[in-house]
Amino acid sequence: METSFAYDLLKSIIHLSTSHLPLETKLDQMLKSISDHFHSDRCLLLKPDQLKGNGLLLRFAQEGKPLWGDVEMDIDEGLSLPEVEELLLPGFAFLPLSGETSFLGFLYLGFLKNRYFSSEEKELLLLIAKEIGRTIQYDHLQKEAQKNASELIALQEIGKTITSTLKLEDLYEKILTTGLKILKARGGVLRIEDKRSGDLKIKFSLGGYDENPLDEKIAKRVFFTRTPFLLNHYSGEKCSSILCVPFLSGGQCYGTLTLYDKEAGSSTFDQRDFQLLLTMAHQTSFAIENALTHYETSSLAQDYEKRAKQLSTLWELNKALLTTVNFERILHLMLTAITIGDGLGFNRAMLFMLNEKEHTLDGTMAVGPDTSEEAGKIWSALSQKKGPLSGLLEQLSNSSPNHSQLNSLVRGIRIPIEREQCILSRTVLEGRPFNIQFPRYEEGWIQTSCGGQCHLSSEIGCSIGAQLGRDPRAYSFSTVPLWGKGKVIGVIVVDNLYNQNPITEEDLQFLSMFSNQAGLAIENALLYRNLEDLHRELKEMQSRLIHHEKMSALGELSSTIAHEIRNPLVSIGGFARRLYQSVPNEAPEKRYTQTIMTEVFRVEKILSDLLNYTRDESIAFREIKLQEVIEESLSMITNKFTEGKVEVVKQYSEGLPNVKGDYHQLKHAFFNLIDNSYQAMKGEGTLSIRIYPVEMNGSPFARVELEDTGKGIDPENLHNIFNPFYTTKDSNLGLGLPIFHKIITSHQGQIEVDNRPGEGVTFIITLPAMEASHEKDLSRRR
Amino acid sequence: MKKILVVDDEESIRFLYKEELEEEGFIVELAQNGKEALDKLSFFKPDLITLDIKMPVMDGIEALKRIREMERHLPVVLCSAYGEYKQDFTTWASDAYIVKCADLTELKVTIRRLLGVL
Repeated sequence: METSFAYDLLKSIIHLSTSHLPLETKLDQMLKSISDHFHSDRCLLLKPDQLKGNGLLLRFAQEGKPLWGDVEMDIDEGLSLPEVEELLLPGFAFLPLSGETSFLGFLYLGFLKNRYFSSEEKELLLLIAKEIGRTIQYDHLQKEAQKNASELIALQEIGKTITSTLKLEDLYEKILTTGLKILKARGGVLRIEDKRSGDLKIKFSLGGYDENPLDEKIAKRVFFTRTPFLLNHYSGEKCSSILCVPFLSGGQCYGTLTLYDKEAGSSTFDQRDFQLLLTMAHQTSFAIENALTHYETSSLAQDYEKRAKQLSTLWELNKALLTTVNFERILHLMLTAITIGDGLGFNRAMLFMLNEKEHTLDGTMAVGPDTSEEAGKIWSALSQKKGPLSGLLEQLSNSSPNHSQLNSLVRGIRIPIEREQCILSRTVLEGRPFNIQFPRYEEGWIQTSCGGQCHLSSEIGCSIGAQLGRDPRAYSFSTVPLWGKGKVIGVIVVDNLYNQNPITEEDLQFLSMFSNQAGLAIENALLYRNLEDLHRELKEMQSRLIHHEKMSALGELSSTIAHEIRNPLVSIGGFARRLYQSVPNEAPEKRYTQTIMTEVFRVEKILSDLLNYTRDESIAFREIKLQEVIEESLSMITNKFTEGKVEVVKQYSEGLPNVKGDYHQLKHAFFNLIDNSYQAMKGEGTLSIRIYPVEMNGSPFARVELEDTGKGIDPENLHNIFNPFYTTKDSNLGLGLPIFHKIITSHQGQIEVDNRPGEGVTFIITLPAMEASHEKDLSRRR
Repeated sequence: MKKILVVDDEESIRFLYKEELEEEGFIVELAQNGKEALDKLSFFKPDLITLDIKMPVMDGIEALKRIREMERHLPVVLCSAYGEYKQDFTTWASDAYIVKCADLTELKVTIRRLLGVL
């Protein structure tokens, strides 16, 4: 009977032990079964920490022996249990619960009366205690295993997350949040070293613990010593426990991870947490290192890509610049390249060329939209027009910038170099770029970009800003010098007026690089233009020389012929005259001989004109008073005037400059001209002569106006009046005007003809004054 | 009666000058070139010489030089179809320079002036 009861108890204990009930419930039910079976007054489990001091129980526990408080026991025999005095009932039993390695406590049974335990009972209780110990230990192991498993899962999760991203910001966030989850901490801060400054920078923070001044100190200490740090029971205002570990990889420290305050229950981090966080930090260090390396590599790659693009753009632009030597086209191409998106991408580009003679910067050309709407249109059109840069440039270079409002505005700007305060002048004088950047539309911002000293300056802002910006007080622009052969030849001004993008130093650097190249191209174009000018001059000179040679050859020939003709003419004319004199007046022969005489006279006149035209006279230039030449030419012909009815009206201005020329030639020229007018008026009319000084392109000139009241020149013949081989039906081979023309042009003079058919002709002759002709010589030589 | 030596290589010119000047009351002797003129100088003893410049055998310039060596003060009028040498006539030591033309008025006036006859 008793044996079967004992069996039932054991059965229920084992049943409970293997059940899935929580440990506490299992133990409660076990104790109840035991208590019921043994009719104990008290039945409980003593935990090891409930045993105090070096009592007897502890000794028993160490030895793993039970203590029986039954009749067979001699209580006086040193049994002192001060820690469990209330358990010293008349009958009791302490049964040690031991696991495989450790002591787990006692199973206690107490009786209010003396109790005798039979050997079967003792055996049963020992078996039960063993089972309870096993149950407890099993539970411990299970919990441990669960915890390990969850830690492993967490670590695995971390491993998964950190390898899933190379984006640093994501990575930092994941590391911290996972850390908090695993260690059940309230907050944390993740710091990474900034490679440039060497400082620790907060990359991610949760719970606001980074506001604590202690936080940074600890992180720095951990970072520099590379030793983890654990502080529990800290009596700070905001936190009580801190755990900080370094990210170490390949002997390098990348940063720190700090966690604060355990959630719920215990507020301390134990060694386990410490180890776990260390493991985690170690594991993530690789990921951080990888991500950092990736980040660096990709930023380097981006940098290289950008540079490569810049270089290729530069190459394209240079190629385009080298395809032409036309000055205007190069300027347009350059400014276009600065403004198009595939090029340098500025909104507007303006060029000011240095005028060394006047010491000014002259607005030369500008490219850019006139309004925001236009800018928008251009950009959207360009974005649709995908193609290689070179094609785009080619397309754009064919259009002319001249019609743009901006262009004409810029062309009107002239800045004296002496104004050192002007940024544009300073760009030339100091030979370096300037970047004038203002914050976007700040109200009340009053700032002059260059001291406001330049011309057209308003009270605030400079002329450049006033004319080019929306708000002269805050006009953002940049300038770079244009270099050509070691000296500044101009200034490029760029701005982003329409999209208000700030111009960075990098933009400016690229622009400088480009402008250096463009400067060379411009210099080349300038040289080429000079060369072209020289070439043209040379060609002109050559053609003049050929003309001259032709003329002198013709002159030589005609002079020989003329001389050969002259002698027989003298005889013909001479004998005709003799005949004329001997013939009676009424005889018809009188008229015959007279005809011979006049015709001979005409031939003689033609011959002497021809000889005069072709004669190679050496010109003796000296300083000449023009009015004297005119007066003398007039005097040679005055008797003719008095014969007819020609009135001469003279108007000579004061302060007339002297001209440089050959006195006799000029006299000849004006004589021919006056004679021509006389003949045009057929001996009747008014001849007005005006002489006055004029200035052209800053140089002094003397001008003669000779106005007659003849019939004017038939417009059909006008272009031929200076042609020596041209003749009209009713005129002789008149060499008067060609000779006049030849002499005036050889004096670098200009002739204008104001022809009023039926009313008369005004010849306007402009001759360079002494100084002016001298200057012109100099400039020609240059 | 004043004597004039006309020197010219053109026969028609010599003939014209002779006719015209004789009509003016001068005694006229003719020579075809400078050399002939020099030959005739000593026996004819002219009061004035009209001298063409461009002539074969001996031109007017050379002849003028020789004449000046012999007769320093004998008036010589250069008569030429070349107008462009007019400026140089004084350096050639002639007394006058006339561009030949059909109207001999200028020549006659000059001769009378140089001989002091009106």
